[in-house]
Amino acid sequence: MSVQAGNLKKGEFIIYQNDVWQVQKSEFYSPGKGAALMRSKIKNVNSGKTIDYTFKSNESIETVDVSSVEMQYLYKDAETAYFMHQQTFNQYEVPLEMVGDIVQFFKEGETMYVYVHDEKPLSVMPPASVQLKIIQTDDAARGDTVGNAKKEAEVETGAKVMVPLFIKQGEIITINPETGEYTGRASQ
Amino acid sequence: MKIHTTIKNREAYAQYLQVLRGVESFLLTHRYLKLDLPVLSPALIPEGYLEVFETEFRYMDRREKLYLTPSPELFIKRLLVAGVGDCYYLGKSFRNSEPNSPKHLPEFTMLEMYKVGKDYRYMAQEVLAMLQHLSRTIHGTDQIMFQGHKVSLASWEAMTIAEAFERYSAISTEELFDTEKFIKKAYQKGYVTEGFSYEDLWSQIYAQEIEPHLGMNGKPTILFDYPVTFAALSTPNPDGRTAQRFEFYIGGVELGNCYSELTDPELQATRLRDEYELRKKSGKIDHPIDTGFVDALREGLPESTGIAIGVDRLGMVMTDAPDIDSMKLLTIR
Repeated sequence: MSVQAGNLKKGEFIIYQNDVWQVQKSEFYSPGKGAALMRSKIKNVNSGKTIDYTFKSNESIETVDVSSVEMQYLYKDAETAYFMHQQTFNQYEVPLEMVGDIVQFFKEGETMYVYVHDEKPLSVMPPASVQLKIIQTDDAARGDTVGNAKKEAEVETGAKVMVPLFIKQGEIITINPETGEYTGRASQ
Repeated sequence: MKIHTTIKNREAYAQYLQVLRGVESFLLTHRYLKLDLPVLSPALIPEGYLEVFETEFRYMDRREKLYLTPSPELFIKRLLVAGVGDCYYLGKSFRNSEPNSPKHLPEFTMLEMYKVGKDYRYMAQEVLAMLQHLSRTIHGTDQIMFQGHKVSLASWEAMTIAEAFERYSAISTEELFDTEKFIKKAYQKGYVTEGFSYEDLWSQIYAQEIEPHLGMNGKPTILFDYPVTFAALSTPNPDGRTAQRFEFYIGGVELGNCYSELTDPELQATRLRDEYELRKKSGKIDHPIDTGFVDALREGLPESTGIAIGVDRLGMVMTDAPDIDSMKLLTIR
């Protein structure tokens, strides 16, 4: 399979110089003369190394056929996140470098989608939002509630997020794991 | 596409307005006449690599195609021929087939300014003076911070295109101006060359290997003397292979593009025909060529220099905004 570079999307897997890379960012750019370009940031799935590369937007790029497989997130150590296939109970390991910062919002036991190519797990599809319980945050001081003021809160995975002052310890909030931003209170 | 309002950008927007006001106050003091121009035109100057927005005027049975202008150049050059003198346009320009990105909108704010009787070297000094004026007005100093990069606007870092290719891509002047050698070099560097032109590969290598360094050494960078093929509407240099064009950058962001304007009407007409053919070949919207523009040039375009500056980007750089959207109250994307 191949795709024109102008259609490259974040998250896609491509072949570049005989290696598999995941697109982290792609930005159209027209210099006004010569080919329009696609400024991209790509991450090597083997080394975790990220590079900037500018493709011509009408250049054909080979894509890698990946399937997204439902798996249970088990735990992580210093280098690896561990997942279990829901049907086969096989365990898969994804280097933290490939999972990225979103791993700090993963709760053990939650179901996720893992990108798999040739039985090899490449990366994790970032969930659109996650729901996590607040385990520590200070109560807002009275009279301190004007404007868009925020305070720090620790959620059950240990990650820290900035939340509005009215949020209390014990509440469940929703977070966009890609930006690390508070997006609302979870509906009960 | 959808309409997005972002009222939390009110403060950043107010800073952007300071940039707009600074630009206009500079131009007023330097006696440039402000031009109020249409954005719809029945014909355009053909540009091979730009796509346009097409619309239609309707009245009773009458139908007439109109196009949103990708640049006010066709109007301004007519006025220069008519004797308007130093002038500028600050307003919207439109480019189709160019999706929103952090540094570009299909509908963007452009400053196009022209100085009569001068060339691109003069404009380089004028632009630097304008940048200093903006920085002093907004920050009270010639130093700005842009996305973690400290930039002093006291002087340019200047280099020719040939020097930049030599320094950042190890491509010699000989290879740069020889189509065959250049493509071979691109192939050796690992670029996909099959089916692509010299211009395509030139742009790709420029964007990949050179641009990330521009305006990153604590100074704004000016790059000048482009190969003739990249400077269709500018005055050729005596060396026969470059023309009087410059671009300038701050913190890796391209801000403006300047020409010593081409005054030879026959050469001008030939280059427009080439551009028209290129548009046809690549299946772009077949808009009428603005022949009135060519006729006006035959009457004699005065020796002049003109620059187009992306004002949204200028706003980003002057107010340390990470992208264009973060300075806008309302965007379509």
